[in-house]
Amino acid sequence: MDVRRMRRMRPKVTAVMLFLVAVLGPAACAGGGAKAGDGPVEVELWSWSAGFQPVVDHFNATHPDIKIRWTNAGTGEDEYTKLQTALKAGRGAPDVVMLEYAELPTIQLTKHLVDLGKYGANDLKDEYVGWAWDQVSDGDSVYAVPVDAGPMALIYRKDLFQAHGLTVPTTWAQYAELARQVKKVAPNSYLTDFGSNDGLFVTALAWQGGARHFTYSPSKLPNIGITIDSPETKKVLTYWEELVRGGAVDTAPYWTTDFYNGLSSGKYFSLIAASWTPDTMASVAKATAGKWAVAPLPQWGDGKDVQASWGGSAFAVTDQSKHPEQAARVALELFGKDLKAWRTGIDTAYLFPTSKAVQKETYFIDHQWPFFGGQKVNEIFRKASDGIGDYEWSPFSDYVFSQLSEQINKAVADRSSWTAAVTTVQGKVTAHATEQGFVVNK
Amino acid sequence: MRIGAVPRAEARAGLLLVSPFAVLLAAFLLLPLAYALWMSLHRSTLVTGSVFAGADNYLQALRDPEFARGAGRVVLYGLVQTPILIGLALFAALVTDATVSRVSKMFRMAMFAPYAVPGVIGALMWGFLYSPSLGPLTGAAEAIGLGRPDFTGKDLVFASIVNVSTWQWVGYNMIVLYSALQAVPGDLCEAATIDGAGAVRIAVRIKTPMIRSAIVMATVFTVIGTLQLFVEPFMLQPFNPGTITDSYVPNLYAYSQAFSYQRYEYSAALSFALGAIVFVCSYAFLLVTRRRSVTR
Repeated sequence: MDVRRMRRMRPKVTAVMLFLVAVLGPAACAGGGAKAGDGPVEVELWSWSAGFQPVVDHFNATHPDIKIRWTNAGTGEDEYTKLQTALKAGRGAPDVVMLEYAELPTIQLTKHLVDLGKYGANDLKDEYVGWAWDQVSDGDSVYAVPVDAGPMALIYRKDLFQAHGLTVPTTWAQYAELARQVKKVAPNSYLTDFGSNDGLFVTALAWQGGARHFTYSPSKLPNIGITIDSPETKKVLTYWEELVRGGAVDTAPYWTTDFYNGLSSGKYFSLIAASWTPDTMASVAKATAGKWAVAPLPQWGDGKDVQASWGGSAFAVTDQSKHPEQAARVALELFGKDLKAWRTGIDTAYLFPTSKAVQKETYFIDHQWPFFGGQKVNEIFRKASDGIGDYEWSPFSDYVFSQLSEQINKAVADRSSWTAAVTTVQGKVTAHATEQGFVVNK
Repeated sequence: MRIGAVPRAEARAGLLLVSPFAVLLAAFLLLPLAYALWMSLHRSTLVTGSVFAGADNYLQALRDPEFARGAGRVVLYGLVQTPILIGLALFAALVTDATVSRVSKMFRMAMFAPYAVPGVIGALMWGFLYSPSLGPLTGAAEAIGLGRPDFTGKDLVFASIVNVSTWQWVGYNMIVLYSALQAVPGDLCEAATIDGAGAVRIAVRIKTPMIRSAIVMATVFTVIGTLQLFVEPFMLQPFNPGTITDSYVPNLYAYSQAFSYQRYEYSAALSFALGAIVFVCSYAFLLVTRRRSVTR
């Protein structure tokens, strides 16, 4: 599903209310949601993305023995807060839940996820792109079924680029040069905005620059490798530090009104985006529809093709499910091999499929986006998806992302060194991991 | 039957009458408190299970520099915010009390209105007002030659938060003090007027001392409220997460420990530690005011 990371805005309001609900009325949100006896088994599903109902309807129509009850429990962190509270409370969690790849190890570590390998998940392994399957599995254990991915690209204002005679950059060096050029030709505008408040975004950029922040898998517990302060991370962050310090890119936090305003007012000439960004853009920057275009993500050197995934999510089954078998089937078959379900999902929920077969469909590749003046943007995103390699997340991503965001934001505010900020994050995360009982290897 | 003892039937009726309150009190305050206390004495890590930890969490909280910084911040905030709130509220209450007109009624309503706006919505609204590119305040500041201040930036964020909670709470305190003023006997003021006292002198010398206990009560509530500061930084955080960090105030720190990092036990200990600070501060204030009234 679209992994819009409006994390820190709207979610907090609901988080507070949810906290109240979770504390005051756990009985109100009936757990499990399945009923015995005749008729279809009810399976409760939590996922975000508003356009999910048609996919659920399609599943219910094709599976007479199962009835999905779908709840939009909020995006990302918003949902995780509810889920963690319900898991801690021992009741109130759904049967099937949508989780980002980065969050999966956190929930898995609390032993609340059902191993779908026991329900035939491995048979579907070859249906999915390799890197996505690696994100959800550990050997023969499968903790979730991949849904969508967040391959990255550069989206830019074609009209403004043309008006000012700017060339679309292919390397980060060209991109930096272009940022300074934009500042000269349009002093009130920026080439882009750097959202240091989004830890996953910063991580994705470092990932593309070759950084791997963790070496972790459940089978290697309690060992974990933490290398946030690697030369690759420092290279990427020094690059952005120089652009920010020179005033060549803006620093409005992502997913705030100021940021959206910048997108719709022409203040930003381009945006580093993931495949789900167009969905967000189409709603917040309606006025600029048709003026944008997509280009491949700039590279760290000529002729290279290194990619990363910003977001992406999967379906997991919780141990609170009273009908794990049916819940597993929902996770496996909601999309699975069902081309019609994927089509619906692509149309209404803007998801970027992790299914190999769907990625090859002309329907998907040739889809023309009015927001991008009819451009077939999936050609670019699909190519980007092919280039995504492995990445291992820690089982405490929330802590890592909030530290990354906090320390870099501080560095921006104090005009202090970003590499020093990264060193601080490394130290804090290491201390946190040690305190949580991990054996930390560098 | 002993003198003063309550007849059995009456006692039973009394118990029955307080039972709804007692049940709710136990279910929603005492039990959660006891559970939190029990939790704060344990420690669980992501890798291992939960173990009894005694005072470990509390000792850690005492040594935690982030908690200390947050606690220092709310104490400072209380020292700044309490006089502003109570001073403004007292002033507004005295003014509305001394003037009887439709305007003063309107004024009272207008002052009270922000309190009726849920804190979350109020803080969100101020977030937009403070916005550097969309908010009217930045533009206004620029127009009068103050540059483009960053209201949620390092230098101004504290003042911005004080501003939001002043907006929200002055009206409430004003109503408390205003109600107390209604109980001041009219003939007292009349006598003072005959003796030649003006409105200002009556307000300062007669009315204010007369509502002293209401002022003390409003101040204690304000002290408690300010130390538990949460909603404003929580809602303004997205606009500048580098300045308003997760440990900006103790309540926010406890919240993020529990709901972002799954450190429920440490969060419980932090909450109790904050509770202790609140207790000490409000008790100290009461002690000071009581001693003063004795010496007088």
